[in-house]
Amino acid sequence: MAEITCGSRSTREINADIRKALAAGEREIIVREPGARHNLGVGILEPVRIRFAGSVGYYCAGLIDGPSIEITGSAGWGLAESMMSGEVVVRGSSGNGAAAAIRGGTVVIHGDAAARLGVSIKGGTVLVAGSCGYMAGFMGQKGRLVVCGDAGDAFADSLYETACFVGGRIQGLGTDAVVEAPTPEDIAWLDSTLAEYFPGAPRGKQFQKVVAGRKLWNFDKREWKVWQEAL
Amino acid sequence: MCGIVGFFAKSREPAELGRTVLGMLRALGCRGPDSAGVALFGAPHDGSFALRVKLGEGADLEGKARKLARFLEAEQRCSHFSSTAAYARFLAAGDRDLDRLASAIESLDRDFEVVSIGHRLEIIKQTGSPENLEKTYCVSEIRGTHGLGHTRLSTESRVDLSHSQPFWSHGFPDLAIVHNGHITNYHQLRRRYQQRGIRFYTENDSEVVAIYLAEQLRKGAGLHQALERMLHDLDGSYSCLAATEHQLGFVKDPFALKPLVMTETDDFVAVATEEIAIRSALPGTYSVREAQVKEVRVWPR
Repeated sequence: MAEITCGSRSTREINADIRKALAAGEREIIVREPGARHNLGVGILEPVRIRFAGSVGYYCAGLIDGPSIEITGSAGWGLAESMMSGEVVVRGSSGNGAAAAIRGGTVVIHGDAAARLGVSIKGGTVLVAGSCGYMAGFMGQKGRLVVCGDAGDAFADSLYETACFVGGRIQGLGTDAVVEAPTPEDIAWLDSTLAEYFPGAPRGKQFQKVVAGRKLWNFDKREWKVWQEAL
Repeated sequence: MCGIVGFFAKSREPAELGRTVLGMLRALGCRGPDSAGVALFGAPHDGSFALRVKLGEGADLEGKARKLARFLEAEQRCSHFSSTAAYARFLAAGDRDLDRLASAIESLDRDFEVVSIGHRLEIIKQTGSPENLEKTYCVSEIRGTHGLGHTRLSTESRVDLSHSQPFWSHGFPDLAIVHNGHITNYHQLRRRYQQRGIRFYTENDSEVVAIYLAEQLRKGAGLHQALERMLHDLDGSYSCLAATEHQLGFVKDPFALKPLVMTETDDFVAVATEEIAIRSALPGTYSVREAQVKEVRVWPR
């Protein structure tokens, strides 16, 4: 296992050390005292375990494909943005835009997520043990977004085929968002997934499912009123 | 961009306020290289007000300080005059008409501006980095209970001392704000206030936040209520901190367009644009979270 201590060193030096450890064949790296620096662990493509012991700043674990990254503190804006595959686990809370535009993999937030969680996701799974803020799930195209606590305003606005699940209250639904009952398959998937990541979470059958009402998928001028409202 | 910070010590004993706020600001220097400033609430002066006057933007500051000192010699109940670099500072007795005194000072010289008045508030700001602010004014030595800080990246108005933040609400002692974002109905609000005779000292849209909050507080609103009303009346993007003699508060705009994180422990409250500001100035174990959309919080003493 490689240990990297950030101390007063620059982000560039720390990331270079991570690269060096990867090149040397290390498959487990611990980064101490990250001090909420930005841009840590971006673009990692190896199936490696990296643990940031503390908080990270903006864009941590963005553009990754394959690694398993754990953050023991909280994360700033743009966590795991555009990840392809792998796992990112935050023990604390996340800033705005966590898991934005991911195509695969799993993003796990044990605390709360701020605004614009999982916007425009194209696959993968986003799991939040706490609550999420404004405009979560906006324009989600595929994948699943699960919030065990409450969801903020404009939830699941303008969705395509992302399935969203909320265990608590939804402050307000976004345009074209529709609540429906989860299917038995959904409930089974929620139960097994949540048992793995959040053992204390509500049971799958307690969740509301939110999907697209499909009114915005095709433009039809007879539905001009719907569009006026949406825009 | 821009970086804002706020620190509130829960203890009544004056803390190393200047050192903490400066430490937080240093971490946000890269967000705002144009200017840096602090609004610090120190020990009160037995009912007197501290006035801080901008002497000018660079030329013949010593001459201007002498000019102000001569004027104050003839004034009643003004004492403890001193000057450092671009600022003069003195105390005025609590029963003086401060508006009249401030406008008399400002009419002495076109460069003069009363930057802050308060029982405890002192604003120190200038162009350049937090490091420069420390070099010129030894901010880290100032003790107090709570304060604000700002690093500025100018996007809409000129870069000079007056356009830097924090802003004092002219005419309203002990009220200061810092703002990160843009107030998009600024021109409309500015016209409305100017028609009522309120003077704007700068073309910086953040100044209107200070004027707006002072108006709300004058109408009898508490700071919490005033910040909530801001969500209705001010458009655009804003993470904004406000401080009075006994309170620190923040508001985040209805689209959550600007960052703001916070932490609260048994000893202090710290709020900042980025977590790195809190972590680099305040050691210890605590958790930090992003403020939610439309969130308003106020900590009273």
